[in-house]
Amino acid sequence: MKLVVVSAGLSVPSSTRLLADRLAAAVADRTPVDIEVIELRDLAVEIAHQFTSGFPGKALAAAQDAVTGADGLIVVTPVFSASYSGLFKSFFDVLDKDALTGKPVLIAATGGTARHSLVLDHALRPLFSYLRAVVVPTGVYAASEDWGAEGLPERIERAAQELAALLPKTEHRKEPGVVPFAEQLAALRAS
Amino acid sequence: MQFGIFTVGDVTTDPTTGRTPTERERIKAMVAIALKAEEVGLDVFATGEHHNPPFVPSSPTTMLGYVAARTENLILSTSTTLITTNDPVKIAEDFAMLQHLADGRVDLMTGRGNTGPVYPWFGKDIRRGIDLAIENYALLRRLWHEDVVDWEGKFRTPLQGFTATPRPLDGVAPFVWHGSIRSPEIAEQAAYYGDGFFHNNIFWPAEHTKRMVDLYRARYAHYGHGTPEQAIVGLGGQAFMRKNSQDAVREFRPYFDNAPVYGHGPSLEDFTEQTPLTVGSPQQVIERTLAFRETVGDYQRQLFLMDHAGLPLKTVLEQLDLLGEEVVPVLREEFAKGRPADVPDAPTHRSLLAAKEAHEKQDKHEKQESAV
Repeated sequence: MKLVVVSAGLSVPSSTRLLADRLAAAVADRTPVDIEVIELRDLAVEIAHQFTSGFPGKALAAAQDAVTGADGLIVVTPVFSASYSGLFKSFFDVLDKDALTGKPVLIAATGGTARHSLVLDHALRPLFSYLRAVVVPTGVYAASEDWGAEGLPERIERAAQELAALLPKTEHRKEPGVVPFAEQLAALRAS
Repeated sequence: MQFGIFTVGDVTTDPTTGRTPTERERIKAMVAIALKAEEVGLDVFATGEHHNPPFVPSSPTTMLGYVAARTENLILSTSTTLITTNDPVKIAEDFAMLQHLADGRVDLMTGRGNTGPVYPWFGKDIRRGIDLAIENYALLRRLWHEDVVDWEGKFRTPLQGFTATPRPLDGVAPFVWHGSIRSPEIAEQAAYYGDGFFHNNIFWPAEHTKRMVDLYRARYAHYGHGTPEQAIVGLGGQAFMRKNSQDAVREFRPYFDNAPVYGHGPSLEDFTEQTPLTVGSPQQVIERTLAFRETVGDYQRQLFLMDHAGLPLKTVLEQLDLLGEEVVPVLREEFAKGRPADVPDAPTHRSLLAAKEAHEKQDKHEKQESAV
């Protein structure tokens, strides 16, 4: 089972990455998974280049393949200007629009204040709904103050439990197939 | 194997002088480039089709008809003909007309077009792009292969007792290449009909090109047209050359850095590493192009984009001299080495006519046999 973690934190060390690792560890406690972490910071230039050149560079292509091939995803972004960061959105803008179809996704965000916690539901959840991912009910938001308060571990555990429950029991990797031409032609005639 | 050039037909400012050619200058330059292609011994000239500025070639068969009158051997083609927004009836007629004028030196490459507003301007919906390509091409084939067509479809008014004129030259339809960069449906379409598949790889890494061509080859064999190795494959490529590779880099860099399609993104070095763009000596272009065979197998048509990034006509003509005199003769020789005998050349009017006549002779012979 492959669990891919996408972290859009920018500083080193980063509280976004810290939250991502906590979530991944909580999922790994429940079900055996191979974890791969993708730091978008390292891909920032290649992401910008894909906007202008139309194709991904080598490292970005590898990250896109990892996300596409994952059995489940954890995505974590810092809140910038009342939403996900531009880098976080850009990564998903240049990803193939079908890459996340049917994929279980746990959404999480970090911010300086708890006043932005609804960013999970007004920004991240619609984005992943649009991409036809299956978003788990519990999103995890960690404000600076949460790292020294009660409640965060419980939310992490609940979200991890929900994601673990959605991961497929057996691995089934879908190969991109081709629709036979006769079917394509017939579909046009029938409708 | 066929070698040639394809042009997008963009009007682009020369960043080194700030000068923008007029539409007339650009159109005349495209013609001069086509004539030069024949002069330096290339096989194919293909023009793009566009319906928005800064592009000029909205009427490819007009231009190709003019080029046909001034050339003897050059095969005239397109890159691409918009199978989605053009009426297939008009495509059938325009290219049959061109075949007669050019004595058969005509084929075409169909493509969907990627400029959103062009679809509504022509009364179509981009979300139906694949469906339009499938239905329109199915009709186009019938218009060429059947003298009288009754037809009903989704996207066009029905036809009853319709005959597209003129009929294709010698009863042989122009050979069709299907161009696509990332749609497996189009590779599948090309394979189904046993037509050619052109992957315009100029902005794509080799692994992607390989995936698309492999799919086309496998499906070509699946539909019984031959072995995967016998499928008809074409590739793009683009280059800028000077005898000395440092001179090429120095001269091309300001064009690359400012061109609408290249500039303000990856560096020239990254771009040349990741895509077929080669900026250097003729020998480097030879080596790079020969390596395409390792990616896709023995193939049939190699087209180069040479009039890119706002290069002035004089420079482009110098590039074509280098291409025709120093690059292509070596490529012809090297690609011929180790090429299995059963890998066919790209079909031409002559080869398709010979195949048709052989087929008819065979039929006649069988009828006589059964009569006895």
